[in-house]
Amino acid sequence: MLSIKNLEAGYGKVHVLHGITIDAPKGKVVTLIGSNGAGKTTTMRAISGMIRPTSSEISLNGQRIDGMESYHIAKLGLAHSPEGRRVFATMTVTDNLTLGAFPRLTGSRPKGDVAGDLEKAMDLFPRLKERRNQLAGTLSGGEQQMLAMARAVMLNPEVVLLDEPSMGLAPILVEEVFKIISRLKQQGVTMLLVEQFAAAALNVADYGYVLENGRISVHGDAERLKTDPAVKAAYLGGGH
Amino acid sequence: MNRKYFLASVLGFIALCLVPVFTHNPYYIHLVETIMIYAILLFGLDIVVGYTGQVSLGHAGLFGIGAYTAGVLFLKVGAPFWFILPASIAVTAMFGAILALPALRVSGPYLAMVTLAFGTIIQILINEMTFLTEGPMGLKIPKPTVAGYKFNEESFYWVVCVMLALSLLVVHRVLRSQLGRAFEALRGSPVASDCMGVSVYRYKVYAFVISAGFAGLAGCLYAYSEQYISPNTYNNELTVMFLLAIIMGGRKTRLGAMLGATIIVLLPKLLDDLEAFRMVASGLAVLILVGAALGLAARRTTLQTMFVPVVGTAALATFSFWLDNITDWRLSIFGLMILFVVYYLQDGIVGFARMLLGRGNHADSDVSLQEENPAQDALMQTAQNDREDILVAKQVLMQFGGLKAINMVDLKIKRGTIHGLIGPNGSGKSTMMNVLTGIYVPTAGAIEFDGRSVVGRTSSDIALSGIARTFQNVQLFGEMTALQNVQVGLHHTFKSNFVDVALHTSRYNREAHAATERALGLLRFVGLAELANEEARNLPYGKQRLLEIARALALDPQLLLLDEPAAGLTAPDIKELVQIIRKIRDHGITVILIEHHMDVVMSICDTVSVLDFGQKIAEGEPAHVQADEKVIEAYLGGTAA
Repeated sequence: MLSIKNLEAGYGKVHVLHGITIDAPKGKVVTLIGSNGAGKTTTMRAISGMIRPTSSEISLNGQRIDGMESYHIAKLGLAHSPEGRRVFATMTVTDNLTLGAFPRLTGSRPKGDVAGDLEKAMDLFPRLKERRNQLAGTLSGGEQQMLAMARAVMLNPEVVLLDEPSMGLAPILVEEVFKIISRLKQQGVTMLLVEQFAAAALNVADYGYVLENGRISVHGDAERLKTDPAVKAAYLGGGH
Repeated sequence: MNRKYFLASVLGFIALCLVPVFTHNPYYIHLVETIMIYAILLFGLDIVVGYTGQVSLGHAGLFGIGAYTAGVLFLKVGAPFWFILPASIAVTAMFGAILALPALRVSGPYLAMVTLAFGTIIQILINEMTFLTEGPMGLKIPKPTVAGYKFNEESFYWVVCVMLALSLLVVHRVLRSQLGRAFEALRGSPVASDCMGVSVYRYKVYAFVISAGFAGLAGCLYAYSEQYISPNTYNNELTVMFLLAIIMGGRKTRLGAMLGATIIVLLPKLLDDLEAFRMVASGLAVLILVGAALGLAARRTTLQTMFVPVVGTAALATFSFWLDNITDWRLSIFGLMILFVVYYLQDGIVGFARMLLGRGNHADSDVSLQEENPAQDALMQTAQNDREDILVAKQVLMQFGGLKAINMVDLKIKRGTIHGLIGPNGSGKSTMMNVLTGIYVPTAGAIEFDGRSVVGRTSSDIALSGIARTFQNVQLFGEMTALQNVQVGLHHTFKSNFVDVALHTSRYNREAHAATERALGLLRFVGLAELANEEARNLPYGKQRLLEIARALALDPQLLLLDEPAAGLTAPDIKELVQIIRKIRDHGITVILIEHHMDVVMSICDTVSVLDFGQKIAEGEPAHVQADEKVIEAYLGGTAA
């Protein structure tokens, strides 16, 4: 579904990624684990075209997407839920969600039943349903995070990139976010997941990659990574 | 100043001084003189536009005030040149303070309109106050006389040369100093500036005053250079030209200001003459082509980004040879060229050249990273006193419309402890932080920090009295390096004023040196020493959070508020963070910690308070709070932590 080969990228003079290869098969959840500055968010941004990779071969459904503009990549069915709750603060919850389906409304993607999907998204996130006419900026942090996820789903995407969906959420909400990820997985959505709670991410994922200083150090089945002593020591410690 | 730049500046200065030796044509001498005068004004305008990020369309008005101060003082008072020059600067600087007042309230397009109105009013006043200014008739001023010597065209040219060099030196020093950092911090994040003790209010006014001073100097020189001034010169077209010069040359660069000045003076003249236009157009096309080739060869740019500039300039060159009469086309071509630069070279010509040559916009990356005394502890031990509770909040109410974000909360923080503040998203924790640091004024209630009320005081005042903070949504000064970010936090250690900075007095040198040392030490404390010269916006999220802590510590606080420092950090980074927070406490600094990672809260907090819907629902030792039914139901949930 999504395949990334030899991705190299950075900002200005800083080189962050030194050749990364990741494969996300259809309907699977793949998680990226790594410490801060390892390049997880940069990888996500390079895939969705928010930054231009210096060298890479990224394909979605067999079509090359590297070097394309973000909006074009979105039209091809890749949704990105960015780090840090980037919602349209002065628009209502409903409008935020409808905007997520923008390429469907303009005919760049198969339209399907936008209104029906809106209701489905609201059912997936009941808190949003209660607040559908509220301005997104007035939602609490947790609700904004859910809105960003729901908006990504509204694209009816082939692949969803989820960058730190549980960041800054109360423990009770973290559980809920992971439940929703499992539910999306059951619906057959392909996901690339970056998470601070590595253990929880490996529980929901099929496959995992460990990023170290811009390189993949270990990768394999999520079950196997969970028991890998090196991964355990470096990323699963701390009792999460 | 970097030695290479210093050498280039000296050579440039000598070349400029030699112009009258090679050509005695007064037309050319006057042209170069005008460029230099405009450049002086643009140095100042760039402080406001490039560094503090404000728009000013009032600078032609300030330019006029400088010119008329000189004219009126000479004709009505008969004052000598050595008095008129500083007087013009001082009077214009005063008007700069007036122009700054609207900038304190409005920004963006609103500020543009207000400053435009300011410029228009100045022009009208000059026109109407005939008893001083002779109105539309204008004033005639001869070249100045100093100590019996009367300057002529050529010798006055050298006066302007010296003034340009002095202006360049002063502007350079100001922008490299704590003043320049304060200006840039305003642009990066006004809230964070205030919370670092850098008053947004005060430094916006400073920026406008200094900027106006340069406009006054330029205006005064202009009056003597033209020997005739009339109100029509200082119109809105000129003000737009000044702004264009900054945009075209490139903001935050002195070379850009000089280039911009050259363009706005020379380009209209070159377009008068077809031959000259053909030369300029072909030269430009060749320049862009070579630049693009170099950039492509070094893989710093792509064919797509270079396509339009190359084709555009080539088309312009072709067009120039197809034309046989330029007078009909002059204004259209001028407009097109400006449009082209503004649209395609958004970082200006200098920014574009830097991109092609592969140099980032690192103004200060030549700072040595070697600490002289790395063993020394960068974090100061805070003074202790007998008052046991460092912060006491009583019945605090914060109401937004009908919503009570904080509802009658009491909070007592013991000195030297780590006090956790937890609760569901939207329960009022961050609002509490904002109330404590003066960003919000509470609707009711009392807050005492170290025995003194903080209610109603400004954020910067509270920060200077010893409360530092980090932000939930990172608020760094993105275009500044990690080191400079921390140095902004050290602003309070500077006693030097503008004069110290301009003259590099021993006091300034001592303070600047000490600040660099301490900033490096603080970066080392949070483990960011190697990234000192990296722009903050290029740092990964987790490192940005650490940098915020280092910047907050630079305030030498007694109380440090950390708002979700572990958000987005993975397990090993969190361990590091916990170590850092412990070390901070061991230096006697009291910490209030908002955090959702329960393992962090439970392992390092001495006391924990829990908020829900703006009310305190539990308080006590971590283990006690963790077992509380209400807390589990509202916040912790079944399996977490």
